[in-house]
Amino acid sequence: MAATSSLQADGDKGKSSEASSKWLNAVSDPMTNIHTFPACMALADLHGDGEYELVVGDLGPDGRQPRLKVLKGTVLRESPLPALPAAAVTFLMESHEPQTPAVAIASGPCVYMYKNLKPYFKFSLPPLPVNPLEQDVWNQAKEDRIDPLTLKEMLEGIREKAEVPLSVQSLRFLQVELSEMEAFVNQHKSKSIRRQTVITTMTTLKKNLADEDAVSCLVLGTESKELLVLDPKAFTILAKMSLPSVPVFLEVSGQFEVEFRLAAACRNGSVYMLRRDSKRPKYCIELSAQPVGLVLVHKVLVVGSNQDSLHGFTHKGKKLWTVQMPAAILAMNLLEQHSRGLQAVMAGLANREVRIYQDKALLNIIHTPEAVTSLCFGRFGREDNTLIMTTQGGGLIMKILKRTAVFGEGGGEADPLLSQPVKLNVPRKTRIYVDQTLREREAGTAMHRTFQADLYLLRLRAARAYVQALESSLSPVSVTAQEPLKLHAVVQGLGPTFKLTLHLQNTSTARPILGLVVCFLYNEVLYALPRAFFKVPLLVPGLNYPLETFVKSLSDKGISDIIKVLVLREGQSTPLLSAHINMPMSEGLAAA
Amino acid sequence: MGLLDRLSGLLGLKKKEVHVLCLGLDNSGKTTIINKLKPSNAQSQDIVPTIGFSIEKFKSSSLSFTVFDMSGQERYRNLWEHYYKEGQAIIFVIDSSDSLRMVVAKEELNTLLNHPDIKHRRIPILFFANKMDLRNAVTSVKVSQLLCLENIKDKPWHICASDAIKGEGLQEGVDWLQDQIQAVKT
Repeated sequence: MAATSSLQADGDKGKSSEASSKWLNAVSDPMTNIHTFPACMALADLHGDGEYELVVGDLGPDGRQPRLKVLKGTVLRESPLPALPAAAVTFLMESHEPQTPAVAIASGPCVYMYKNLKPYFKFSLPPLPVNPLEQDVWNQAKEDRIDPLTLKEMLEGIREKAEVPLSVQSLRFLQVELSEMEAFVNQHKSKSIRRQTVITTMTTLKKNLADEDAVSCLVLGTESKELLVLDPKAFTILAKMSLPSVPVFLEVSGQFEVEFRLAAACRNGSVYMLRRDSKRPKYCIELSAQPVGLVLVHKVLVVGSNQDSLHGFTHKGKKLWTVQMPAAILAMNLLEQHSRGLQAVMAGLANREVRIYQDKALLNIIHTPEAVTSLCFGRFGREDNTLIMTTQGGGLIMKILKRTAVFGEGGGEADPLLSQPVKLNVPRKTRIYVDQTLREREAGTAMHRTFQADLYLLRLRAARAYVQALESSLSPVSVTAQEPLKLHAVVQGLGPTFKLTLHLQNTSTARPILGLVVCFLYNEVLYALPRAFFKVPLLVPGLNYPLETFVKSLSDKGISDIIKVLVLREGQSTPLLSAHINMPMSEGLAAA
Repeated sequence: MGLLDRLSGLLGLKKKEVHVLCLGLDNSGKTTIINKLKPSNAQSQDIVPTIGFSIEKFKSSSLSFTVFDMSGQERYRNLWEHYYKEGQAIIFVIDSSDSLRMVVAKEELNTLLNHPDIKHRRIPILFFANKMDLRNAVTSVKVSQLLCLENIKDKPWHICASDAIKGEGLQEGVDWLQDQIQAVKT
């Protein structure tokens, strides 16, 4: 805790006065090592002593060591989980006792219930129906009537045609190598094939009372595009609903036995609404992007999309508003302050901010030292209004809302661009400019005439030089329709030996060039080239051909000269194009 | 104030009445501390969370204290300021094992100290770093550091580590409070 307090002090200074006036920094510990997401966090009074505890389904620092972590005050207890958690919720199973809520952790095809933090019950999803054809094929294999190769062929046939997908065992069989097939079949043929699904999301739904201490049902969303409502005591399936896509976020309001509304955000970028007695979705909201969070605020369904915006929808799927965020949304959750009847949505953003919105109005911004990946607001310990956040690096930040703090509109700052008008960057003119304009006004005719005459001369000289260059093929780029070519030469090295690389490129669209030669012209006293004349390979259009030679400087006086490169066609004496290379001074032993 | 008054006070014939406010967050042990300061035959057995506030009396060697034992629950904390005028001394109780809510205690202490009824009066404040018997309790020095008690310059204050169930540390605090009140009086 010593490190914590020093960190708190640092955080206070950097914070805007707005944020520090509403929140107290209770804990700010970057070393807690909690890696989770909003669906895996829950607050509950697990021991019934009025001290609320935080239940976290932790993924582990690398996402491979799932653990159940329970935080009471500042003390962390943990126990290993069998598989990665998909969601963690707390709920009351029965109403007769002095109630301690049970913790439900969904992972894989099972829901693990903990009571008093001890494993209590394991609910498994019912297996899905298996394809009868597949069953037949495996039965034949069991009786050794078909060999592994035909088994593989038949299974592949079923996979392509049948509507019911194959079981995990068959899919695994299709993957194994030829050599291991026999062993695999012998090992697995006696087992009956099963098809399992996986829980993707979980939430709770009050059974028949809306009270805080009422019994709740679990609502599960599965990878097989189904929603299941479980009985709180017997864990039988009370209702089953099907969706067109895999649900990833769930929001529920109402009571199971009276009337309830279910909103499920799915992987296909849609949000589906279900009511009591409807086996299929009644309304559908199609988002333009994938949903990253779903929060129900009063009657408005707030959806965060991966295009950095929050959208508000009614229960019938009518869009009410959209708010643009400055950065990507990493986490969303509900902020509910019972004492003031406030419900708002919190969004943890990638730019290290947590923004709190009530409908379209920005109420508050919290700046955090690291981007927040999960957040949760509620009663923790003995404090009603605690905001618990975990950061990307696994740190834990807890803030307590002040008793006197009131969220009002206008909590967010105004747009900085509006308050500061942009000054135009117009250059200033001095005396010289004014004098020049005066002179132009007086002798305008003469200036025009002289300039035109000079321009004529310039054009003439340019044309002359161009014709000269064409005649001697001096330019390194030939633009003629027959031979589109490009050449440039690079000299590398310091010493008496240089490396001269010619980059030759055919710039035509689809016509290769054959039969070109390269010839170097140089002063034989000063330089030695191993081959001053060589053939060029066939030039494929578009490719750059580096052709290199080694040039050795012979002079010991440090004289540099020009080397000319000519590219010619075999049988013609006029070069197609040429380049002049100014050889650098040799800094080798010969020069010294 | 005459010599006679002090003499009678010392002799315990006529004890002076002092009004004390007992403040602190909920579950910090205010009622338990007050209960433990009462004579053993008047002590109650069960302590339940205080609703609103209650008035208790206890005596020290030379003073008779009337304590406003306030509820520390969040919804009752706005009642505190109504009794600030009457208070001649403040007992502020802190749960030293609740490091999470130390910031809340600090915040409440700051609002208390900046209240117009308290700000300019030189009233003694006694802090009890309570629940010292618990394993995860922090020391009274640490508590005073976390609450930034060194910033209180214009009021006499004192912090005692206490265990209200056994009654350890309470007497020391009350003795200090009595000395301070008498020093103010004379």
